[in-house]
Amino acid sequence: MATTACFIIVSRDDIPIYEAEVGSATKREDAAQMHQFILHAALDIVQDLAWTTSAMYLKAIDRFNDLVVSVYVTAGHTRLMLLHDSRNDDGIKSFFQEVHELYIKILLNPLYLPGSRIASSHFDTKVRALARKYL
Amino acid sequence: MDPAKTSLGKMLLEEITPVVMVLRTPLVEESCLKNSLSFIEMLSPFCDFNNIDVPVRTSSDQPYRLQKFKLRLFYESDIKQPDIVVAKERLKQVITEAGEKDRSDLSTDPLDISNVLASSKSEISPSWFEIFNKELVRTVSFSEHEAFDHPVACVSVVSSKDEQPINKFVDLFNTNKLPSLLNDGAMDPKILKHYVLVHDNKDGPSEKATKILTEMKNTFGFNGCHLLCINSSQDEQVEHQDNPWVPYKFDSSPSQDLGCYLNTDDFNEIKDLIQELSSKHIIPYMEQKVRVLNQQISATRKGFKNQIKNLWWRKGKEDTPDSSNGPMYTYSSVESQIRVLGDYAFMLGDYELALSNYRLISTDYKIDKAWKRYAGVQEMMGLTYFMLDQSRKEADNCMENAFNTYLKLGSSGRQNATRCGLWWIEMLKMKDQFKEAATVYFRICSEELLHSAVMLEQASYCYLLSQPPMLHKYGFHLVLSGDRYKKCDQIKHAIRTYKNAVSVYKGTPWSYIKDHVHFHIGQCYGFLGMYDVAFTHMLEVLACSHQSKATQELFLREFLQIVQKAGKTFEVLRLQLPVINISSLKVDFEDHRTYALPGSTSVKESVWRSLEEDMIPSLPTVRTNWLELQSKLLPKYKESNICVAGEAIKIAIEFKNPLEIPISISSVSLICELSAKSDETNSDASCSTAGIWNNEEHENLREIISDTSSFSLSEVNISLGGGEANLVQLTVTPKVEGILKIVGVRWKLSGSVVGFYSFGSNYVKKKIAKGRRKAKQSPGNYLKFIVIQSLPKLEGFIHALPEKAYAGHLQNLVLELRNRSEVSVKNLKMKTSHPRFLNIGKQEDLDLEFPACLEKKTNVSPPANPKIASHGVFLFPEDLSVQGENPLLWPLWFRAAVPGNISLLVVIYYEMGDQSSAMRYRILRMHYNLQVLPSLDVSFKISPYPSRLQEFLVHMDVVNKTNSESIQVNQLSTIGSHWEISLLQPIDTIFPSQSLIAGQAFSCFFVLKSCRKSSTEESTSSLFPHIGSNVSLVPDGSKGAPFDTSKSPLAGFHDYERLQHGISNQEAENAVDFILISRPLKSNSQPGVADAHHVFSHHACHCSTASSSPITWVVDGPRTRHHDFSSSFYEINFRMTIYNSSNALASIILKTLDSTSISDQLSDEASGNQVGWHDVSLAKDSKIESDALRNHVRKSLLPESVSPFIWSGSSSTGVQIKPLSTTEIPLQICVFSPGTYDLSNYVVNWNLLPVNDHESVGERIESSGTSLGYPYYLTVLPSD
Repeated sequence: MATTACFIIVSRDDIPIYEAEVGSATKREDAAQMHQFILHAALDIVQDLAWTTSAMYLKAIDRFNDLVVSVYVTAGHTRLMLLHDSRNDDGIKSFFQEVHELYIKILLNPLYLPGSRIASSHFDTKVRALARKYL
Repeated sequence: MDPAKTSLGKMLLEEITPVVMVLRTPLVEESCLKNSLSFIEMLSPFCDFNNIDVPVRTSSDQPYRLQKFKLRLFYESDIKQPDIVVAKERLKQVITEAGEKDRSDLSTDPLDISNVLASSKSEISPSWFEIFNKELVRTVSFSEHEAFDHPVACVSVVSSKDEQPINKFVDLFNTNKLPSLLNDGAMDPKILKHYVLVHDNKDGPSEKATKILTEMKNTFGFNGCHLLCINSSQDEQVEHQDNPWVPYKFDSSPSQDLGCYLNTDDFNEIKDLIQELSSKHIIPYMEQKVRVLNQQISATRKGFKNQIKNLWWRKGKEDTPDSSNGPMYTYSSVESQIRVLGDYAFMLGDYELALSNYRLISTDYKIDKAWKRYAGVQEMMGLTYFMLDQSRKEADNCMENAFNTYLKLGSSGRQNATRCGLWWIEMLKMKDQFKEAATVYFRICSEELLHSAVMLEQASYCYLLSQPPMLHKYGFHLVLSGDRYKKCDQIKHAIRTYKNAVSVYKGTPWSYIKDHVHFHIGQCYGFLGMYDVAFTHMLEVLACSHQSKATQELFLREFLQIVQKAGKTFEVLRLQLPVINISSLKVDFEDHRTYALPGSTSVKESVWRSLEEDMIPSLPTVRTNWLELQSKLLPKYKESNICVAGEAIKIAIEFKNPLEIPISISSVSLICELSAKSDETNSDASCSTAGIWNNEEHENLREIISDTSSFSLSEVNISLGGGEANLVQLTVTPKVEGILKIVGVRWKLSGSVVGFYSFGSNYVKKKIAKGRRKAKQSPGNYLKFIVIQSLPKLEGFIHALPEKAYAGHLQNLVLELRNRSEVSVKNLKMKTSHPRFLNIGKQEDLDLEFPACLEKKTNVSPPANPKIASHGVFLFPEDLSVQGENPLLWPLWFRAAVPGNISLLVVIYYEMGDQSSAMRYRILRMHYNLQVLPSLDVSFKISPYPSRLQEFLVHMDVVNKTNSESIQVNQLSTIGSHWEISLLQPIDTIFPSQSLIAGQAFSCFFVLKSCRKSSTEESTSSLFPHIGSNVSLVPDGSKGAPFDTSKSPLAGFHDYERLQHGISNQEAENAVDFILISRPLKSNSQPGVADAHHVFSHHACHCSTASSSPITWVVDGPRTRHHDFSSSFYEINFRMTIYNSSNALASIILKTLDSTSISDQLSDEASGNQVGWHDVSLAKDSKIESDALRNHVRKSLLPESVSPFIWSGSSSTGVQIKPLSTTEIPLQICVFSPGTYDLSNYVVNWNLLPVNDHESVGERIESSGTSLGYPYYLTVLPSD
């Protein structure tokens, strides 16, 4: 498992709809804001890269010091962004794919308004379990 | 685009130019300082030639003309690598200065991001970056490995005042003050020398100077000597337009003084001196040197042969151990010469030549692992490529190579890397590769915070300028930079960057980002003492529920500190702390509907309305009702709410603390506006703009707050723990008539910040407790009230109403009504929702002592019905009026009728004594919740008493259903005068304990006797409907007077019980009502003693006495007879009394059966019953019963041994009986032998005939039937 990892789902309007600190490292006070900043800044790169490829998984697209941003863009241009310091590319890919499936299940819920915050605790536990499994 | 015209090109043409070392005596400096200029400063404006137009011939034979040329002048002491610490200080100074200049626009609001994008490139990044970058480049000047900073020429300057000027010239050059570059052999010490004599015209005429000049010319040669006369302006100061020295003066003193003694002559003289120096001396010297070196190098290094040789030679050199920086190269080494050649060629603008030489040497340095020199050469290659505008890619590669190599060197190469990076960035910017430029900026960042702050800020602007703009990156780098500035105490810079960041992140849903930016910019403003701006930013981070507790504390602490330092109370619209739950807003007000208790409003309006229906005067009949009156008074505001002056409007609203830390809120109060009726229109106008929030609105609010004379507000202080929500009750009491608007709520956070919240702004989902007559109202109207003049208001209270009671609990209560105003109220009416529970007593009842009043008095006066109008509305006496201090007390009777949770509503209607008031009547609503627990469960079963006429057996089952109470059963009463009840057995035997403990059941039998008279007498009995008979169930010793069930409370409740069962007050036949009176026993300490103050009454209504047939009969006759059978058979007479208890005429046919034919008869009967249409409702039961009977009959008849008897007389007698009357039929049997006979073998067929005057068909139970005879045993003994 990665020591630092922050997973965020960003809606097509650039609003974070799900956030999870999934790293095993002890949490620093300012870590959350730093991670948000890095991931937020990486949105520019995603914007550039997303239209250059047909693949959903964009691999590592941005880095800040030793932290790497990997991104997976769904067909609806929802971005699954992972900030991590491990180099486990295959694991990250699988992680993204499974989370994408979970996200689609959330979308299928008629009570879920696309683009609104994902508050489902079930989703949260599943994502964290996947993070433990793959990252 | 010409590379030389680009900013990088210009920069290179300025920075990479020949250096001239200046040696001067102190007296020279002194003369120059009269103009507040140093010697170099005096010369420098003239060192820059934009159009020198000098022919230059370097390696090629073709000369070309040099246009732009510049000389850099330095004192000998400055020609050395700047000290790092000093350089840093210098940089810091530049930054600080830049910060100071920025001050003006610090407090402005951040621009909108679209405006930022629209602004031009030059506007975006601050101009001081160029200065800073130049300074940064200069920090690495005069390094050994680069030849372009090595002085090309040396100018010695001596003043004419100096003694022995010729010697001075020699001394100047010979002192060991010369830069180390010359001394340690990094460069050729034989450089071009030039001698200048400075003469100050103020010191006298220049004859002496010219003399010295000739002497100089003799000594140093003719060409290298000059005389410079300065300060020619006599006395008056020269005003220079566009003072040329200003740009060269760093610490800008008042610019008028600069060059004040230099007149036009001096000006031209200096200009000529420099012109001559450069075009006649320096450029030819450099040309010469380039040619010489080029020749040398071509001979030794160019061509195939030399390359091979070089290879071998190089190899041999590898044996020597390498220092970290590669081998030391002296000026005489080939490598240094090549480098010098390259740099000179570059400076003279012969880029081709420079490039070829750089290329040549870079491989050498690489092989030698002289990395710093290698990087330097790569850097120059990159720049040369750029100046040639040839291969961009090559240029990039070279720069990157150089940059990386410098970085590899570690700390020693850091500054060079920075310079290289800056040049590279400029190069990238030229090509619009802003994104790449930004990454280079990012790579330049070192550990040093201030330095990297500037670099990051520049990087951010690059991101902004890139196409398309990368705003996210822009914001991020601004924040990174701002953070660093802040750590370096460069607060103004920090504010600038954060402010820009705010414009990017404005309204972002990324919570942590928003908090960080606002918190830090707020802190920065706080440092600068700009508390107002700091405050606005700090407001943004207050509601940071997502942050950790520590951060929340930090934020709040900082916020309060700023507020405290500001030393004033801030007023904030929409303060986010605490959160106001607008959907919880609840308004309680009283118009004509008033409430006794606050909880009364929880009952639905419709419930109240249905209750009040019968009390409120209907509209058409009453001419002067309040609605008409009001509509005359207030034609416009029919739809508005009405409240009364002097009566409080209550608002409940929920405050929620989103943080984990407790906050204290004080002075919570409403914001209201009470306008007199004249300015209605104004208030309307302001109401319509309530949605817009701006400063004007804020002012408006403040105005509203200040004007509180016409109403009074309540203030509440609360403290909210972490995550706590609190419902706050606020009131406003208008004092005068007019229109009251509740605008919002205000509160004080931590005693220093005043928050406002306007209800109107987003009051979309409103919830108001009261139902509305008109569903469609604009939201603002819910909080708008018409205040009418003060009216009397009744306050009501029911004393001693229990919240919890056992079923059957009977109690007397007192209703207290109070009217505090001077105007009396009248025409009181009252109604309760549950008359079963609450009965209105008579005024006399007040003085009664309970429960003694329930006991039977000796003088029974006929009870007068309480004055109950239709639909259960109680009218108080008409002359009654409530006013002033004296309360009206009125007795009520309470009885917990059924178990369960009951919400008991009481409505009191009253009219104003004063007809002129806007409201004619008001209604007081009282609401009580009470819980009724089950106590005794009583059930009765009545069956006819066999063989008794009009008598019944009553089987009473009583179960104590309470949890712990013991209950003593006192008395059972029947209602109605025509019933008499008595115990079947003495109570002592059946129920010795006399009390029922919890859960205990008990059965008891009574005999009920009907003593109904004929219908003619009924009229009298109806006067006393509740007079009945009682049976005491307690032993005589402890018995008080029996309870009187015919008097008001019990009788009244009983009536309602009957109503509840859907039975009219009229007595029904065959039905009996019981009242069981019991008392709970006192606590366990006194077992067996009944609580004197508690009485339970249990009512059972309409217990039917009707058995299967309305016909009962009794056979009367002897039981034992003696007869001498020897003489004859014996005839015995009987009398059968038949009673018709139905209301119909009954025809009876009595059939006596002889023993032989009985079974046939019966079977006939049974089968006959089955034929045709008949009522089968009771078929099964009666059939079984009749089967049983038949068996019984058969059994009794079967023993043939019994001597038979025969019925004498007619075997069938028909008779008609009138309703409720009896008739007698004589019977006779003949007995032939002694024995015991059962005379039950007869059948009574009855048939009810419909009576015309009795129309109710439903009451008819059965129209016809057959009853078997009752057993009647007759013993006949033989007489002796």
